[in-house]
Amino acid sequence: MRQSLRILRGTGDDVLHYVYEVDLPSGSSVLDALEYIRTGSVPDLMYRHSCHHGSCGTCAVRINGKEVLACLTKLEDVAGTVPTIEPLQAFKHDKDLAVEPGSLFRRLPKDAAKLRISEWSGGEIKRDPDHEENEVRPGGGEINRDPSHEANQARPGGIEHFVRFEDCIECGACISACPVTKQNWSEESLEMLPFVGPAVLAAIHRESINNPEWREEMLELAKQPNGVAACEKHFNCSRVCPRMVAPGRHIEELRKELL
Amino acid sequence: MDYFDVVVIGGGGTGAATAYDLSLRGLSVILFERGELTSGTTGRHHGQLHSGARYALGDPHIAQECMAETRILRRIARDAIEYNQGLFLAIDDEGEALTPDFIAACREADIPAMEVPVQRALELERRINPKTRRAVLVPDGTIDAYRLAMRFFASAVARGAVVRNFTEVIGIDSSQGEVQGVRVRQIRTGLEQRYACRAIVNAAGPWADKVAALAQQDVPVTPAAGTMVAVEGRLTNMVVSRLRRPGDGDIIVPQRRLSIIGSTQRKVDDPDGLRPLEEEISFLLSSADELIPDFSKQPFRSAWTAARPLAGRSSEEGREISRDISVIDHGKTGNLKGLFTILGGKATTLRIMGELVSDQVAQYLDVDEPCRTALFELYPYDYYWRLS
Repeated sequence: MRQSLRILRGTGDDVLHYVYEVDLPSGSSVLDALEYIRTGSVPDLMYRHSCHHGSCGTCAVRINGKEVLACLTKLEDVAGTVPTIEPLQAFKHDKDLAVEPGSLFRRLPKDAAKLRISEWSGGEIKRDPDHEENEVRPGGGEINRDPSHEANQARPGGIEHFVRFEDCIECGACISACPVTKQNWSEESLEMLPFVGPAVLAAIHRESINNPEWREEMLELAKQPNGVAACEKHFNCSRVCPRMVAPGRHIEELRKELL
Repeated sequence: MDYFDVVVIGGGGTGAATAYDLSLRGLSVILFERGELTSGTTGRHHGQLHSGARYALGDPHIAQECMAETRILRRIARDAIEYNQGLFLAIDDEGEALTPDFIAACREADIPAMEVPVQRALELERRINPKTRRAVLVPDGTIDAYRLAMRFFASAVARGAVVRNFTEVIGIDSSQGEVQGVRVRQIRTGLEQRYACRAIVNAAGPWADKVAALAQQDVPVTPAAGTMVAVEGRLTNMVVSRLRRPGDGDIIVPQRRLSIIGSTQRKVDDPDGLRPLEEEISFLLSSADELIPDFSKQPFRSAWTAARPLAGRSSEEGREISRDISVIDHGKTGNLKGLFTILGGKATTLRIMGELVSDQVAQYLDVDEPCRTALFELYPYDYYWRLS
């Protein structure tokens, strides 16, 4: 399929939108289109990418103003229009579609756990009437939060729990979409940062669960004036999150705990 | 002109491990990557931490190497690995007959493979094929490809290495048959610069021949495209592999809330801009259904293709080329001293790849320091940004 894309290029004040046309098989993603352009006529086109399946968090961009992962956005989703592709807001712009992601990594709770106990027990794709607590997600499989359930007891010797990576891939979509962080997230104002942002609060909440011994410290961080109190409850974060982290829900849970 | 002892070309897992290894030996190192770090082969890999079981029957050396590296990575990069172990499933006559040899070959390679009753396997993983005939437990796991490499980058930077992304090496300077430096171009600004050095490591993976050509050196590399498909839903906690001689579409790696089936192999001329073929996707989905019924009914998430850097040249599809690690000393195979190319390998073996090429570089530079990368826990990946 042929598709035109309107891409922001340049750096600082010196930016312009350029229109490029790609010719790719159906099913291709916006990231495939960027690769097509870079390996073709525009070798210097700058964008960040790594895994190509929504696991690394590097390729977040804004398409028509909405934060998405370029690798998971199909060209079909934008067919019939000439979508505008721009870098994330809030972050320091590098060049073209690339931003400098460091401001988020520097603000996440230091040395927080990146693994959690896996709640997936690979059940049938239907609700188990005997276990109402079992939650079936649209993605299939089964999330089982009951540790005493037989499915959560079976594991090979030498393994205390099945584990999995935390959901947040630190893509920055929520930071870019949040009307509060988008106003002021620059590194220079570190001391005065008005709001630490949805991804950071979600990580603080997850860490308070993963490492109970750090709970008090995490709640103390959440209690700061630029923590939970600075959230204005727009919930853009949860709407754009590509990994079902729902940062807004984590912020609300922290808010309840701080009461 | 800035001077570094060693220039590393290529910002994938191998380049990261090499920069870290050389820094630990007290050498000054700068690494150049023309795109974002891990944007080539590394980031796109399947995500399997290989115990080596897959290679036990065909290539005992690689099997042993994978097992040794699995043990080391679990120690130095714990939180970049979902260590849930793996199940090999025999689902046909071939697999059933092969099981005793498979287990024996694993044991031979120091892989603690253990047959478990099928009933037990089904307790561990309820979604696997109920017609499984035999099941073998092995110490496989899932790697976060991006974060594992970034932990090596963070540790390299912590030891003083300089890492430059979006900077392309456009020339290699030499004099009297010895490496003198490199010319680079910053993609951000178009600015060209020279750096002086005494040695260069070419860790450009499937692009290694293009880098070597800058110095008129030959690198026999076969880019082999491998396609993977991710579906929504975590169908297992453990890696699930098909017990048979290694082929296409016989490994399912779970990761976060996803399940990923891979892979395929076809020889390509150009490692850039690879796209999955329609028939690869349908082949992979139907292969996955044999291991985990209804895999293909899960919501489709993504399909993508990575270029493996196989060492050697092939006229065939590439499956016959070994995945073995290969270090080329261009002072010996060609006519440029101080240039070393590292090829082959797997994501699981990134650390040892760094070690093998660093050993040769250290010897060339008369540096006596041994490899120490297996000794210390790596810095958390976010320190890459906290430190810079």
